[in-house]
Amino acid sequence: MNIISTVGLAFSSIIEHPLRSALTSLGIIIGVASVYAMLAFGDAAKAQVEESLNSISSRTMQVWPDWNRRRSSQSRPQMPFTEQDAAEMRNIPGVIASTGNLQGSNATIATDTNDVSGNALGVDADYLKALGNEILLGENITYADIEQKAPVAVISDGVHNRLFEGQNPIGQTIKVNNVSFIVKGVVTKADNNISFGNDDIFAWVPLPLARDRITGGNPFVRNHVSSLRVVGQLGADLNQVEDEMDVILRRSRDIKSGAPPDYRIFSSRAWRQQAADSTKTLSYILAAMGGISLIVGGVGVMNIMLVSVSERTREIGLRMAVGAKGSTVLIQFLTEALLLCAISGVIGLLIGFGVFKVTVDILKLTFNFNPNVALLAFSSSLIIGLLFGFLPARRASRLNPIQALRHD
Amino acid sequence: MNAQPLISCRQLTKIYVMGKTKLYALNNIDLDISEGEFVAIMGASGSGKSTLMNLIGALDQPSQGHVTINGNDISELKPKALSKLRNETIGFIFQQFQLLPKKTAQQNVELPLMYRTPRPSNIKDMALACLETVGLKDRAKHRPMELSGGQQQRVAIARALAGQPKIILADEPTGALDSKTSIDIMKLLIELNAQGITIIVITHEKDVAAYAKRIVEISDGKVTSDRLNMEAA
Ligand SMILES: Nc1ncnc2c1ncn2[C@@H]1O[C@H](COP(=O)(O)OP(=O)(O)OP(=O)(O)O)[C@@H](O)[C@H]1O
Ligand SMILES: [Mg+2]
Repeated sequence: MNIISTVGLAFSSIIEHPLRSALTSLGIIIGVASVYAMLAFGDAAKAQVEESLNSISSRTMQVWPDWNRRRSSQSRPQMPFTEQDAAEMRNIPGVIASTGNLQGSNATIATDTNDVSGNALGVDADYLKALGNEILLGENITYADIEQKAPVAVISDGVHNRLFEGQNPIGQTIKVNNVSFIVKGVVTKADNNISFGNDDIFAWVPLPLARDRITGGNPFVRNHVSSLRVVGQLGADLNQVEDEMDVILRRSRDIKSGAPPDYRIFSSRAWRQQAADSTKTLSYILAAMGGISLIVGGVGVMNIMLVSVSERTREIGLRMAVGAKGSTVLIQFLTEALLLCAISGVIGLLIGFGVFKVTVDILKLTFNFNPNVALLAFSSSLIIGLLFGFLPARRASRLNPIQALRHD
Repeated sequence: MNAQPLISCRQLTKIYVMGKTKLYALNNIDLDISEGEFVAIMGASGSGKSTLMNLIGALDQPSQGHVTINGNDISELKPKALSKLRNETIGFIFQQFQLLPKKTAQQNVELPLMYRTPRPSNIKDMALACLETVGLKDRAKHRPMELSGGQQQRVAIARALAGQPKIILADEPTGALDSKTSIDIMKLLIELNAQGITIIVITHEKDVAAYAKRIVEISDGKVTSDRLNMEAA
């Protein structure tokens, strides 16, 4: 028997028993579908988690006053942070941006003809970089601007759209709380994780100007900023960076090591890592469940193949009488099991793909088709076919033709 | 006649052991059958006819003694070689026809050729030619269920012929047929014999045996009579 007629024969014996074949396939179809859907889901979740772990927010550490501590009567008054702190942290190895800013609440941002209410912040040159914002037009505020107290501003895309209606704003004058600035750049708000609300109405101006004329500041502290924000390089040891930040802060505010600090360093990477670990565990559990259903399906295949062998005992006897070798019969039945599992595998993949697509849409994950996952799920169905088809096939190949021919 | 017979049984013994009792289904049989013979094997039920047939057809192995077919001692052949021998040298015809019910007459006839190496390129034509020989070319696309008993047995004969065997072994080929149909089948076998195929037929019925040129009678695993049938020969 050559390959074509072996496969042809396997195919015809599958379609000669349509109901039985369909019922047998069901187990494999469900198994492959769930293995695929779950592996693919795990894969997508992993990609999502990795992206989250590498994101700029995950690499960001924010320093804020320790609000809880303020309530304690023994503690000394809160020490504000300064531009000097930010500048020192900029020199820590592995830091790509270190910035201090002055938080301004509601501000009115206006041209001669239009105005919107939004947020005005005093920032240094690292601030927009630390947020991951991208420059759309013009350029960012520089440290020279800050030194010279240049009256320039960078605005968000939202302000650009609301005030300029598509015209080029670079070089135009805007008023932030009635203080005039020349627009120097437009940026997108890239990182949604750090948001002051869902609106995109921002004007960023050099720190000293903001301090003097818009947000105000602590009159007793030079170069005061309300919080600090440090971003580490991809792959940098962020715990190390955090330790060095701590050293700088203790030094600048004269807190001995071991004494309780009056500030807190916040970062999201710990819980992100935790979320990543549990997602990984979950996807392993899901894949294991898929694997179990595949094995259950395999047992179904074996069962039906055994039935098929005993039903076709006479046929096998006859084939042997006309010259079929034992090995030919073995290959014949293995091929049948494999073919059945391969067909089921394809159907299962399609269904699994649908389930995955729906899950991804519901959970709003990014959809990506990973061919390796599909290949893995499909080959697992073939392996099941080989594994569970072997015993029945061997039984068929070892039949005694004389007894087989007498079988009824 | 040739010096070397086509089939040769020497002290052929088949013993079935059942618990403590040993059953001698064949007991020390010596039998030669030459190319071109038409032999009927007769005997009471349980006398060992089918057992002998299975040994001559290389479907079974002797307990003692030897069966030599076309120069091959079947005890010395490996399973693969036995399959090849069955495929190329022997054609079987069974009492219950043993056709595959889901396949057409033509597909049934093609079966021995499917297992032949190298595989013939014109399997279809060979099968159709065999169906023509048995007068059923117009029924090639019919399934066994759509054919009468006699027609089914003729399909089975076509299948036995398809491999172009030297020997056709028929175990009660007319056992499931009425007497008129039985005669048709025997006439067909005579035609095949006339073409040079050696034919061995097992039967209970004297009318059927009467078509054979030689009649061997078996009783309790032993040959009790071996004579030429003058009427047929
Ligand atoms: N597989 C077996 N195991 C045990 N005994 C067997 C086996 N096959 C045949 N026999 C016994 O061997 C003896 C000969 O059987 P065989 O089938 O050759 O008889 P037969 O002449 O063909 O009979 P019938 O005319 O009824 O077909 C019988 O007694 C039978 O019971
Ligand atoms: Mg018998």
